[in-house]
Amino acid sequence: MQQWDKIKEEGLAIIRHADNLSRIEQVRIDLLGKKGQIQDLMKQMKDLDNHQKPLFGKMVNELKQLFEEEISIKKNELEETKILTDLKKDQIDISLDGDDALVAQLHPLTIVQKEVESIFMNMGYQIVEGPEVELDLYNFERANIPMNHPARDMQDTFYIDLQWLLRTHTTAIQTRVLETKANNLPIKVICPGKTYRRDDDDATHSHQFTQMEGLVVGEGINLADLKGTLEMMVKKLFGESRTIRLRPSYFQFTEPSMEVDVSCFNCNGLGCHICKKTGWIEILGAGMVHPKVLEMAGIDFRKYSGFAFGMGVERVAMLKYGIDDIRNFYLNDMRFLSNFDRFE
Amino acid sequence: MKVSYNWISKYVDLSGISPEYLADKLTFAGLEVEQVTKMADGSDLVVGHILSCDDHPDSDHLHVCMVDIDTEILQIVCGADNVAKDQKVIVAQVGSKLPELTIKEGNIRGVRSQGMICALFELGVDRKLLSQDQLQGITVLPNEALVGDTNPLSYIGMDDVIIDISLTPNRADCMALWSLAKEIGAILDRNVNLPKIDDLKINEKQSNLLIKSNSDKCQSFVGKVINSLVIKESPSWLKDALTSIGIKSINNVVDISNFVMIETGQPLHFYDIDKMPKKEIVVKDDIDMVYRALDQIEYQIIANDIMITSDEKPIGIAGIMGGEDSKIDENTKGIIIEAAIFDLAAIRATSRRLNLSTEASIRFQKGIDPLAPMKAVNRAVQLLIDLAEAGGIEESVLINDFNYQQYQIETSTTFINTYLATSFSDKQIVDVLSRLDLNPQIEDDKLIVYVPSYRTDLRLPVDLCEEVIRLLGYDNVLSSLPKIYQVAGEYAKNARQRYMIKDLLKDMGFSETINYSLVNQKHIDNSVLAIGKPVALNNPLSEDKRFYRTSVLASLLETIAYNKSRYLNEYMFFEIANVYSDEHTEKEHLALAMSKKTTINKWKHLVNENDFYTLKGYITKIIEKLGFDQKRISFKSNDLDQRMFNQYQSALIYLDKALVGVFGMIHPKKQKEWGIDQTLIAEIDVTTLFQAKTSKIKFQSIPRFPAVSYDIAVIVDDKYQANDICLSIKKTGGKLIKDVIVFDVYKGGNINDGLRSLAFKITYQSLDKTLNDNDIQPIQKEIISMLNKQYGAILRDI
Repeated sequence: MQQWDKIKEEGLAIIRHADNLSRIEQVRIDLLGKKGQIQDLMKQMKDLDNHQKPLFGKMVNELKQLFEEEISIKKNELEETKILTDLKKDQIDISLDGDDALVAQLHPLTIVQKEVESIFMNMGYQIVEGPEVELDLYNFERANIPMNHPARDMQDTFYIDLQWLLRTHTTAIQTRVLETKANNLPIKVICPGKTYRRDDDDATHSHQFTQMEGLVVGEGINLADLKGTLEMMVKKLFGESRTIRLRPSYFQFTEPSMEVDVSCFNCNGLGCHICKKTGWIEILGAGMVHPKVLEMAGIDFRKYSGFAFGMGVERVAMLKYGIDDIRNFYLNDMRFLSNFDRFE
Repeated sequence: MKVSYNWISKYVDLSGISPEYLADKLTFAGLEVEQVTKMADGSDLVVGHILSCDDHPDSDHLHVCMVDIDTEILQIVCGADNVAKDQKVIVAQVGSKLPELTIKEGNIRGVRSQGMICALFELGVDRKLLSQDQLQGITVLPNEALVGDTNPLSYIGMDDVIIDISLTPNRADCMALWSLAKEIGAILDRNVNLPKIDDLKINEKQSNLLIKSNSDKCQSFVGKVINSLVIKESPSWLKDALTSIGIKSINNVVDISNFVMIETGQPLHFYDIDKMPKKEIVVKDDIDMVYRALDQIEYQIIANDIMITSDEKPIGIAGIMGGEDSKIDENTKGIIIEAAIFDLAAIRATSRRLNLSTEASIRFQKGIDPLAPMKAVNRAVQLLIDLAEAGGIEESVLINDFNYQQYQIETSTTFINTYLATSFSDKQIVDVLSRLDLNPQIEDDKLIVYVPSYRTDLRLPVDLCEEVIRLLGYDNVLSSLPKIYQVAGEYAKNARQRYMIKDLLKDMGFSETINYSLVNQKHIDNSVLAIGKPVALNNPLSEDKRFYRTSVLASLLETIAYNKSRYLNEYMFFEIANVYSDEHTEKEHLALAMSKKTTINKWKHLVNENDFYTLKGYITKIIEKLGFDQKRISFKSNDLDQRMFNQYQSALIYLDKALVGVFGMIHPKKQKEWGIDQTLIAEIDVTTLFQAKTSKIKFQSIPRFPAVSYDIAVIVDDKYQANDICLSIKKTGGKLIKDVIVFDVYKGGNINDGLRSLAFKITYQSLDKTLNDNDIQPIQKEIISMLNKQYGAILRDI
């Protein structure tokens, strides 16, 4: 039996010492191959007595099985090691930057405009546009700003000639809508677009800017409808906990007219640098459509009434994102543009 | 508009009302207060009495004063030249906070100093309002000042607070302090007491002053002769009042004209009667001349400017500024008062053109109470009698082009409550309107009000709604949503198409830019697919923004150049914007620009070389997505614009037969001119695309029988466009051909100059059966023969 143990120990040692895949293959051939050790033992069997044969055969088979198992285990180990060694050769520095995925974005003004449009479309408003180069008639006259009216002082205008000008507000779209829909009321529209005023550009002024105005005309429209509509918009745009405050003001297009303040979304009304310590941020102009405006469009102001409101898209974007200089919107610096198009 | 709290409180009872509270109330009644500032500011100020004033032992200009402030005696070192024993002065005690410093106990050259004796500018008073003496020394209080009084500023009218109101154009009436007082009285529900001017008992002589207007721009003119008066210094209350709102005191007579203007809103002009060419005033508007006004500056007067003349000589630019010749000075013995109303548009036009804005012109431009001229003249006479010993007063002479009639508004409280969605009682509404002097009367269901002359903004029932709600408060308004016929919200068609393109381009990797519509000459010179001749503004701000764009592309080139100088060399930009031509045509254009190189993998240095075909692929996809079958899109050689484009690598885009765009590689000269790298550019007329008829989406079932492909390679003359050959193959092959594409183009090598090899993959498919070689070989033969006949093409072995 000592002889068996010796063969076993020697075989297992050879297997143990195999340190690569070709070596273990050689070991397998040496131990289990046609000319291997196990075959040698099998050959010795025929010289044995018959009664010895079964035991001998069993011993050889056990040995064969053992070697096979051990070689298989060892081979798996070595394969594993080889894969790791090979992979390690291609190890990379994971701290290096990834490639710049080519992801583009829409302009922040487009993003804000779309957001406001979708709020109002969900409330059943039509989105209507109009020409940027506009007739004096629609920009001023029909908005109740007649020739030589002092209110024109507030709007220094780019003129092309006596008749044509660059629209100073999207109210020009509203006066067109009033005209085309005079006999097809009610009206419920949002009018977005570029507008122009003869201002020198600085951090807070831009000769080109974007406005969005809303107009609702129908039977029985009252001030409460305006207030409720603006509350709805402000909550969707700046958060459910926002409230609004109306302050009397003056616009030619509306009477009564008011400025609309929103409770500061930064400090919740406590006072901070954004609301200039007042707790409120001025964000909209609004009012009940002036009877003269309805009359000029051919709408019976005794039967119908309406409200209108308007806001600057740049101002909303500046407040929303904390942008401090309006000129950024028109410089198109990629470092600026790439900031706004993501989930919030 | 700056309003003095002290001054206004002479007319309206403000007891217990702080300036800040008043400001808040004004703002929420529609008179927005921008700022509330103390005229002079400092804490812990007290009246001190200088008991002794000795020279500082160690200085040639400092003094050491012992100052009694009632509670104690302080030693104060003072540097002012005018400090002296027995003066009453303003003392800032230790700990006192002044606008620019906090007073600490100090040691000045070895002498202890327990405070500061103040000059007005140290208390934050605007230096422009101070005299030379006040600028150079400490302020000496009148002798009656009480030692220890903690409001020393009250003795010199400097304890005032200035409220700066930003008036909306409809409330120009509040530029008159008297109207503002009534407004404040209404807001606070307090009593208003204005000076009485109706019962002046003067013996007025008949006047031989002649007043005439040759202009239709003078609606009203009141002239009055005061034959004698005495010019002297104004009393301190008058000086203080004017100083508080930034008007410098000149003398009693000039100060009265300013004071009355502030009170009534009516600008007055006083002419020295002895300097008048004639006792005559004629208003004209047909004068062309250079005129030297009071400010010594020469102004070019043209027809339509309103001028005041006397004996054919100009004596003032009406409503803006008087002349040097007839101005009031220390020798003036008598005056002619002018109180007129001029056409506001004419005054504005002249004031703007001359770049000359005065207190008078500002008021005329905003409109004046039609009854103000008489009010102002009477008030001026009253003050001239009181303060300038006026005598020899003649009757007023007037011209008046219009008859003033009081406006009435008829409405109902029901209307007001319905419009505002409020539930105010009749009493509440009547009460508010009464406070505003509207004399409301309720008759049956009707509410009638009588509008005072200065409220030119109140004409309609809705104007009354505003009066009611702004005084009773917007908090009373409920919230609801419009209860009208509802429809689904939606975009206009072109807006939907525009957003579709924007989103598509964004997904393709193009970033959106928005540039100015107004551009310069260079931009116009670089227009691509220009919509027409450019339109120039009549009044541009600068040459840089003179034209409305006729094309968008140059804006993108500017954006690229801007970003390149900030190290951005790989880019894909787009902009959709309006363009405009002199025929009042407004369209939308899309411009695209992409750098030739875009990096794919930076560590392996893999760079994508974008070319004509990259952009062509994008553009084709955009047009297809807008709803147009690829068959309707065609590309032709660019014979339109060979300045901006490399003509050999650019093309025109057609939808059906309409030219809708041009794109390709930028011309190397333009690339240099704009200082940018090689760029692929495009300008597309999207309005034409938006308006073209699109085809409906129609599903075609997937064929049951397999397609088979056959390749043909030919050598053919360079002059033929591959697309034309593809079309010929399709035509020849007929219905069984599903698709023909070019899959290889080869030039050079063993192919002679002027020729190239084109390899076509022709895909056959039948809806009825699986095609076999026998079906196709005859067609292939026919195609090869056609290629040879039509294009001189020679078959190559593949």
